[in-house]
Amino acid sequence: MLSPNIRKFKTTIDVYRTKLEEQSAQIQDLRALEELHHQFLSRKRGTITLLFEQLKEFDPEEKPAAGQLLNALKNEVQERFSALETKLKTPAKPKGEIDISLPGEKLYWGAPHPVRLFQQEIENIFVSMGFSIEGGPEIETDYYNFEALNFPPHHPARDDWDTLYITDKLLLRTHTSPVQIRVMEKKKPPIKIIIPGKVFRRETPDPTHLPMFFQIEGLVVDKGITFAHLKGTLEYFLKRLFGERIKIRFRPSFFPFTEPSAEVDIECLACGAKNPDCRICGGTGWKEILGSGMVDPQVFKNVNIDPETYSGWAFGMGIDRTAMFAFGISDMRYFFENDLRFIRQFTLK
Amino acid sequence: MKISLAWLREYVDVESPLPEFLDRLTMIGLVVEEWKEINGDIILDVETYANRPDTLGHLGMAREVAAMLRSSLKEQTWPLTELPAKTSAFVDVQILDEDLCPRYCGIVVTGVKTGPSPDWLRAKIEAMGLRPINNVVDVTNYVLFATGQPIHAFDLAKIAGPRLAIRRAKKGEAIRTLEGKTVALSTDMLVIADEKRPVAIAGVIGGEESAVTDATQDVFIESATFDPVSVRKTRKALEIQTDACYRFERGADIAFAPQAAIMAASLLTQFGGKAAKEPVDIYPKPRKLKEIVLRGRRISDLLGVDIDDEFVEMTLGDLGFGLTANQHSIWRVQVPSFRVDIEREADLIEEIARFYGYDKIPVVVPPLEVLEAVPSDREKIQKLSQALFHHGFDEVINQSFADPEKEAVFRSGKAPVEIRNPISTKASLLRTTLLGGLLENTAWNRNRGTEGVHIFEIGNIYFRNEDATAEKLHLGLSTTGPLGTPHWKGRPGEANFFHLKGAVEACLESLRYAPFSFKEDGHPFFEEDYSLAVLYKGEKIGRMGQVHSRLLDLYSLGGPVYAAELDLDLLFGKQPRPFEYVPPPKFPSVVRDLSFLVDRDVPFQEIKQALDKMVVPYLEEFSIIDHYAGGRIPRDKKSLSLRFTFRNPKATLLAKDVDKAEQKIIKNLKSAFKIQLREGGESP
Repeated sequence: MLSPNIRKFKTTIDVYRTKLEEQSAQIQDLRALEELHHQFLSRKRGTITLLFEQLKEFDPEEKPAAGQLLNALKNEVQERFSALETKLKTPAKPKGEIDISLPGEKLYWGAPHPVRLFQQEIENIFVSMGFSIEGGPEIETDYYNFEALNFPPHHPARDDWDTLYITDKLLLRTHTSPVQIRVMEKKKPPIKIIIPGKVFRRETPDPTHLPMFFQIEGLVVDKGITFAHLKGTLEYFLKRLFGERIKIRFRPSFFPFTEPSAEVDIECLACGAKNPDCRICGGTGWKEILGSGMVDPQVFKNVNIDPETYSGWAFGMGIDRTAMFAFGISDMRYFFENDLRFIRQFTLK
Repeated sequence: MKISLAWLREYVDVESPLPEFLDRLTMIGLVVEEWKEINGDIILDVETYANRPDTLGHLGMAREVAAMLRSSLKEQTWPLTELPAKTSAFVDVQILDEDLCPRYCGIVVTGVKTGPSPDWLRAKIEAMGLRPINNVVDVTNYVLFATGQPIHAFDLAKIAGPRLAIRRAKKGEAIRTLEGKTVALSTDMLVIADEKRPVAIAGVIGGEESAVTDATQDVFIESATFDPVSVRKTRKALEIQTDACYRFERGADIAFAPQAAIMAASLLTQFGGKAAKEPVDIYPKPRKLKEIVLRGRRISDLLGVDIDDEFVEMTLGDLGFGLTANQHSIWRVQVPSFRVDIEREADLIEEIARFYGYDKIPVVVPPLEVLEAVPSDREKIQKLSQALFHHGFDEVINQSFADPEKEAVFRSGKAPVEIRNPISTKASLLRTTLLGGLLENTAWNRNRGTEGVHIFEIGNIYFRNEDATAEKLHLGLSTTGPLGTPHWKGRPGEANFFHLKGAVEACLESLRYAPFSFKEDGHPFFEEDYSLAVLYKGEKIGRMGQVHSRLLDLYSLGGPVYAAELDLDLLFGKQPRPFEYVPPPKFPSVVRDLSFLVDRDVPFQEIKQALDKMVVPYLEEFSIIDHYAGGRIPRDKKSLSLRFTFRNPKATLLAKDVDKAEQKIIKNLKSAFKIQLREGGESP
């Protein structure tokens, strides 16, 4: 038989147990749970804490029984709270109205033009080598476009640069090389620049020719610059652009503004030099990628730089033409049709 | 230049297998673009350069090959059957313009049995891609392709001799050419003229009347040197292109002229011809061979590699240069007459490099030294582009050309630059605005099923500025159609005026070109009520608006299309606001919304400017959060809701201070714009 004191204490405990059950059934969120936790287990004013205070008043022989009852309640409280916490922290399962397999919402992000993108890739490589960037006018004089670059008037070499003229003396620049002259007139060596820009030729549009396209030019002038530097810099550049293992070949060529001149070929990416009928390299395994050479002494004289003291090298490369090769684009006209189905692909590049 | 391998072998032994031979040719700068086998011969198509006329014949190619293979040229002899008379007994050649004709040789061959060429000759002519005509004409072509020296055969009987003058054409003279075309000659053109008339245009083409026919028996072979510039100007003016002028305008070997004449005469003796005892050779000012000093030190300075003296001497010697050692590693080099391209020491160094091998020159990466920073415009363009990508604009690049018919409809207010020799009449101007290209792109994409077209271009526009031309870097933007693709969460919005305006604002803000403003503009590009000028620091830097239907019609575009164009050169020339860091506030802000009615014709910008000027304590910022007209709002009014944020940076703001500030705003707006507060519009 329980003593009256114990029976009374048990009733009190049962009341709190019912309270716990009722109140915990209403708990919907962690905040409410925290409040209930506080109500029962607060160190100062919590229900359980206060009940433990009451234990002191029991006779020593009754204490164990009362303590047993109270500890049972405490454990129940703790277990229930812990179970509730776990339940509340687990997210509700979708109830059918939300199909989480549906696609997400995306912000539309505009795409850069592939020529601009490729131009920046090239620029970044040269900028990382300490080159600066220069520009110049697209409407040029005959002097800067030809004469100062060692194309005498009426020289047949001009035929290789079919020109759109504004007047006898004004034309649309056929290459970015006139900027070499403009820079060397302004600045004294050392010079280390690249010149990207639009150029124009009198060409009827077809898959590999357009009357307007993009070129990038490079110029280095200093004391002690040699052909070996030209090779070193361009090889480094081409390996950064096309990969470390690309094969590169320098071969003699002719440009009026460089002497010696070199054409640079890289191995054909389309066929890997394996297809004798390759349309990109014509079965040679090599693709012409840029023109270069040591700055011609006459060009130096034209800008009052002493070719006995200074030497330099220059290169020129078609940006769109090289992008065609790098991306495997078969028709140059795609670049300027501006079909968004073409351009938007380059957000992925 | 087509090169027959069989023909080349008449000059030099080539034994290596073809692929290896072609690779070696490439590495000395002679690229074979194509080759094919024809009748057991191999025809190479070799790329040649404008400065190397010596490679425009088999003999010149053979010189390169011999030097490459370290072998020597085979000797050829050209025996003649001679008449007792000299050529000068038949023709009296007089050079009247020594500048345009520095040397003129010729030889008479009589009794030629003109007729079809023998097989060996036909094969050679056909290998060069030409049609054999008769043995005399074929012999002249043979000499040209063998040696690079153009020669011409006149029918002696048809020349009104004996005097043959090399002179400038006289005013009013004309000639019917071998092509059967009568051309008028001008006084700067050099001709070969008999006693009556011009019989050939020097270095360009012969006349029909004095041409060799199947009835010809006696011929006069001309082998001369003409001034390259004169030949070029004449053939350009007359629009005639021949194998002869192609070589003369690049520069023929002046020393070789007599030999070419003898070679032709010798071949004609195979067809029964008898050559005159002596050719004529008028060479008033014989040219000395060029001499250049070559320093070994310069070779290594330029190439970055030390090359043995022995290699230098051997290479130049093999190429036909004469060398005299001046001192140790310094030479006086005599340039052979056929190398018209060699004028300076650097040209000789290229010859040495070509034969040394570009592949053997070391690869040296120079130190990565930075000389000067990249100009800031590049960074600005990148930032601008990023802002536009973020707003969903794709980048386009258009050709710089414009169609004059369309340009006229645009009325850009700028005088266009005309191209004198355009690709087509539809591309004969340079664009004065970027808008044309953008509308063209919009139409192109719409026609291919892309409805939403939001694009920008950064590029130059061009115009005439009095007598000069100018070009300016512009930014063009245009937007139309849905802003995205349909999605299960909802349909995308449509491009509108404020979508465009937001993009323009983002561009300027991203570069810290703020504060900027807009002003009603009325530009012909845009609909009257939807046209704004964009201003920064009081200067107009661009414009935007809804594109005028007149321009949409030009591209058969349905509207509306919204577009903007900014002058980036002008903008980048201005100073942006410096970047400034502000610490995050420590004290909370108080937000008050104010809704009021105002006259419908009061532009928001005026209210904004008034508020910007007003000194209101604790006011941190304000924005417009609602704009409404119609419905229960009186017709001449509109309802605006503004949200004001107040903050005291040094303490927590008290309600009474905010009330005071708010009252000041209301009072000022009431007096300036007669606003009426809306019910519940005023915060308690």
